[in-house]
Amino acid sequence: MADFDSDEGRIIGIYALALGIAYLVIGMVEVFGGAGTVVPGDLFGGFALVVIAATYFNGVRGVVNGDHRGLSFVVGGLFLTAVFGFLYLLLMVADGLMFLLGEAEEFSALADFRPAIMLFFLALPLAYKVRELTQRVTW
Amino acid sequence: MNDVTSTDLEVEFVERRYNEIAKILETAVRRDETKKWTFTDMLDHVFLHRALGIPIFLSLLWAAFQFTFTFSEPFMVMIELLFGWLGGLAEANIANPHLASFVACGLCDGLGSVLVFVPPIFTLFLALAILEDSGYMARAAFVMDRIMYKLGLHGRSFIPMMCGFGCNIPAIMATRSMENEKDRLITILVNPLISCGARLPVYVLISGVIFGSSYFAGTAVFSMYLLGIALAILMALVFRRTLFKGKPAPFVLELPRYRVPSAKTALLHMWERGKWFLIRAGTVIFAVVIVIWFLSAHPWAATQGGELIENSYIAGLGHAIEPVFKPFGWDWMAGVAIIFGFLAKEVVVATYGLLLGTGEEAVGDALVSMGVFTPLTGFAFMAFVLIYVPCVATLGAIWRETNSIKWPLFTMAYLTALAFVVSGLIIGIGSLLGFA
Repeated sequence: MADFDSDEGRIIGIYALALGIAYLVIGMVEVFGGAGTVVPGDLFGGFALVVIAATYFNGVRGVVNGDHRGLSFVVGGLFLTAVFGFLYLLLMVADGLMFLLGEAEEFSALADFRPAIMLFFLALPLAYKVRELTQRVTW
Repeated sequence: MNDVTSTDLEVEFVERRYNEIAKILETAVRRDETKKWTFTDMLDHVFLHRALGIPIFLSLLWAAFQFTFTFSEPFMVMIELLFGWLGGLAEANIANPHLASFVACGLCDGLGSVLVFVPPIFTLFLALAILEDSGYMARAAFVMDRIMYKLGLHGRSFIPMMCGFGCNIPAIMATRSMENEKDRLITILVNPLISCGARLPVYVLISGVIFGSSYFAGTAVFSMYLLGIALAILMALVFRRTLFKGKPAPFVLELPRYRVPSAKTALLHMWERGKWFLIRAGTVIFAVVIVIWFLSAHPWAATQGGELIENSYIAGLGHAIEPVFKPFGWDWMAGVAIIFGFLAKEVVVATYGLLLGTGEEAVGDALVSMGVFTPLTGFAFMAFVLIYVPCVATLGAIWRETNSIKWPLFTMAYLTALAFVVSGLIIGIGSLLGFA
C-alpha cells in the first residue's frame, strides 16, 4: 500500500529526476575539466554533484510509487543540495571580500555564480512540496 | 558452547543488553504513535545507505575543507596586512638594528606568518563542530566501520582519527576508550597520519604557491587529508597482518538524533579546539622563531644584519642536509623547514617566512618568483610534511599512552621511511605521467 498519493509522488519524482539529471550532467562536466567559466573544472566538486544526482535517482522509483523510503532519498538529496548551494554562496561572498580588499583584480558575480547555486534555487519549490507532504502525512 | 568464539559472546552480551534496554523503554517511555518515521529515520536511510553512505561522507568532508580554504582567505589577507604594517612600523621606528631586525623579521615575519593561519584553523574547527553537533559525525563513524573492520581497524578507531584532524595529541588520548589493546595500539600508531590542524598552514601556503588562488588549491589541500586517511588505513592493515594479528572487536555505537547545531555551541567547540593554536603560537612557535631568527641573522657581520642569509648559520645547516632532499627537487630551505617542523609543524611556514625575509603576505609570492616548487615537487613536499615524524608533543603522547619508549621510536622510524617512499613515488609517477 502506498504511503501517500501517487499523483503527488509522481510530481515529486519527476522534479527529483530532472534535478538529478541536471546534477549528473554538470557534475560530469566538472569532473572532466569543465566548460568555460560557467562550469569550471573541479574534480571533487564534480564528484559531489554526481553523488547528489545519485541520491535523487535512488528515490525516484520509490517516490513515484508513493513509498516513504523513496521520499527519504529526495529529502537526503535536498539536504545535500542545500549544503552545497550554501557553500558556493559563501565562496562567492569570500571572492567579493577579496575584491574589496584589493587582492582580486575583478569580481564577476556571474562567473562566481556556480551551477550548484542555481540548482539550489531551482530545488526550493521541491523542498516546499516535500515539506508540505511530510507535515500532512505520517507513516 | 565450545565452538562459540569470544567475539560471538561479546556480540551476544551487547544484543541482550540492548534487548533489556528496549524492554525498559517500552514500559517507561510514551511515544508519539502518529509519527513513526521521523526526520532522523529519513536521513539515516540515505546517509547510512550501503552504496551512498561513503560517497556522501566524502562529499561533506570535501565541502568542509572547501569552506575552510576559500572562506578564510579574506580574513587571512586582513591579518597579513596588519602584520605587514606592524613590520614596516618597527623597521621605521626602532633605532637599534638588532632589535629592529628581531621585531620586523623575527616577530612580524616569523610569528606573523604563523598567526595568519588562525582563520583557516578556526574555520576548519567550526565546520567539524557543525558536522559533530548535527549528529552526522556518529553516522560517519558507523559508515566507515564497514570498511575499517574489513581492513583490521576497530570502528571506534574512527572517532580518535576524526579528533586527529584537530590535534593528534587528544586523538591519541581518546584511544583510552578502546578496550582491546591491539586495536588501541594500531589506532595510536596510525593516528599521526591523520592530518592535524598544524599541518594546514603548510598545505595552504604550498597549494597557494603551486595552484594559485583557485578551487584547485582547495582540492590539493583536501587531497592531503584523503592521502592521510588512505595511508592510515593501509598502515593499519599492514600492522594487523604483521605486528598485531587477530580480528578487531565488534563495534556498537549509539546514534544520536539529528539536530540543527546551535551557533553558540558550535562556536564554543571551535574556540575550545582552536585556542591551542594560539597558545602554541605564543609559546613553542615563539621560542622556535627566536632560535631560527638568531641562526638566520648571525654571524651578524657576515650576514650584514640578516640581509645575506646565504652566509648565516642556518644556511650552513641547510646546505649540509640538502643532498638528502635534493632528489625530490627541494632546496636547502625546504630541508631546514622540515628539520625545524619536527618541533611543531606550523614552524615549517614560519621558517620560510624568516628565510625569505618576508611576512606571510609575501612568502607565497617569494616562493613563486624563486621557482622553489613546481606543482609536482610542491605536492610531494606537502605529502612529506603530512607523513614525516609527528611533532615532539605527539611523540610524548604516544610514549605516555603506551608506557614504552619503543612505540614513539618505532612511529618516528616508520613514518620517516614512509614519507620518503610516498614523496618519491609522487615524484617518480608524476614525472612518468609528464607532470613537471
